[in-house]
Amino acid sequence: MSIRNRFAVLVLAAFAVTAACGGGEKQETQAPPPPAGTAASPAAGAPPAAGNEMISGKVTYDGVVPPPEKVKLSADPKCVELNKDGLEKQPIKVTDGGLANVLVYVKNGPAGSYPVPTEPAVIDQQGCNYTPHVVAMQAGQPLKIKNSDDTLHNIHPRPTVNAEFNIGQPRKGMETTKTFDKKEVMFPVGCDVHPWMRAYISVLDHPFYAVTEADGTFEIKGLPAGEYEVEAYHEKLKAQTQKVTVKAGEPAKADFAFKG
Amino acid sequence: MTVPPAAVFSPWRHRLAAFTAACTLLLIFIGGLVTSTGSGLAVPDWPLSYGMLMPPMVGGVFYEHGHRMAATFVGLLTTILAVWTARSEARAGVRRLAWAALLTVIAQGLLGGLTVKFLLPTPVSVAHACLAQSFFCLVIALAYATSREFIGGGGAVAPDDDRAGVRAAAALATGVVFAQLAAGAVMRHMGAGLAIPDFPLAAGRLIPPFDNAGVAVHFAHRVGALLVLAAVARLLVRAGRSRDPRLSRTSSVALVLVMAQIVLGAATVLSGRAVVPTTAHVAVGAAVLGTCWLVTLRAFRLRRRPEPLASAARRIGVAVTP
Repeated sequence: MSIRNRFAVLVLAAFAVTAACGGGEKQETQAPPPPAGTAASPAAGAPPAAGNEMISGKVTYDGVVPPPEKVKLSADPKCVELNKDGLEKQPIKVTDGGLANVLVYVKNGPAGSYPVPTEPAVIDQQGCNYTPHVVAMQAGQPLKIKNSDDTLHNIHPRPTVNAEFNIGQPRKGMETTKTFDKKEVMFPVGCDVHPWMRAYISVLDHPFYAVTEADGTFEIKGLPAGEYEVEAYHEKLKAQTQKVTVKAGEPAKADFAFKG
Repeated sequence: MTVPPAAVFSPWRHRLAAFTAACTLLLIFIGGLVTSTGSGLAVPDWPLSYGMLMPPMVGGVFYEHGHRMAATFVGLLTTILAVWTARSEARAGVRRLAWAALLTVIAQGLLGGLTVKFLLPTPVSVAHACLAQSFFCLVIALAYATSREFIGGGGAVAPDDDRAGVRAAAALATGVVFAQLAAGAVMRHMGAGLAIPDFPLAAGRLIPPFDNAGVAVHFAHRVGALLVLAAVARLLVRAGRSRDPRLSRTSSVALVLVMAQIVLGAATVLSGRAVVPTTAHVAVGAAVLGTCWLVTLRAFRLRRRPEPLASAARRIGVAVTP
């Protein structure tokens, strides 16, 4: 074989190897979501004590609310078309004093292993923005990622404990399902095509969590009576923690007050 | 004794090499834009883009896929240059240089693919940045080797002119600049570009507290800038002593570029890494390297003019009978 032919074979082999390797994920492929109708436990262990109690409350914000930032959408004409009134970013969203998009969760859940929901958590790309802004789910629960926009997006979560990935959804209607296996709170997910897009995902190892509504209220249900450490975490204002005592037959109250 | 084959000046092949070098500098700027705009992963697959040859050029895709298109163009130019050189260049060394350039640009493309496939691991991103500079130097060498100046024998200096000194100074300046570019790449790809957020002081002091690796790398890059300035200034002085006007002119250009580069570095920090000054800083860094490298190539091509007989005789203490 002549030197030129050997060289050509070497170059083609190098391309083939590089195209075949990698895959857009930093670790091995994650376990597929459990089939519908089954409930797989993340680890062997005694089932948790049954609970019917609730922690409810309101997360408030007292301080100067930074004005919303108008997003420049001109990088993608489709995004301009989908947002005729424009698009604004406002991480600190306050309505009647209540702070939205705060993850509230029990830091020390009751001992035991919890069945993983088979119903997927959902995050959608709509109007070149993520809906919802904060997603909370259980470890091992499927996350359905949808593209409802007639433009391309890439979905690039940046966890530090779970496996990072970066996938493309070039067409409207595409859906991809992924899972995160480890507990990790409030890691960002973004789109490198549209850099203003930002949401947060939290993965818990139990079902005792909630994300505050627009008015700052939340409810965490299904807890047995006991002493709990409850944390409220906002993407900009960070965390506050308090001890909450849940008594049988009495809904517990936990309010959080962030200051700016 | 074997007589080496005579080089024949091919103006169009030389122009192609020079054009490829210019396009490479532009490609380095375009590549810098990808990182500056955070678009490195806007296209999650490789070698296709969203499964297409030509995706919609929106948002970050415009920068990332645009970079791939520019890289493909430079790869094509390099392929044409390598094949043309192989078929028509008499000098074996120049033919090998052209093949080396082609292999390097292919390796650079593969590194680019790896950065996407493995989600921008810092070592691969840094290697991609450094190999770009190496490829740029290879293409400049090809352009110089095919130039009328090189084939005509290069510049000539008087016997007592400082040929060795300018060669050493040029090689040192080029090495210092390359090391500074590598340090800049490490700083950029580990996200330490604003690890020291003020300028010219560092966290309000001459020497900042080294709280983390990012601060150390960033400060090393600032110290490196002063070393580059000193090395290039020394090169200009030595070029003056060689009394070759081309060397002096090229060294002057290098010094002006270094000063512009320092201003751009300050602008990068003070603007909070705004896209334009940051990317210009990347491109001018490459231009500094290319210019110092060209001075080095020219310096090593310098010939000594034959010494007049009377001068030689005086030097060795021999009487010459007219």
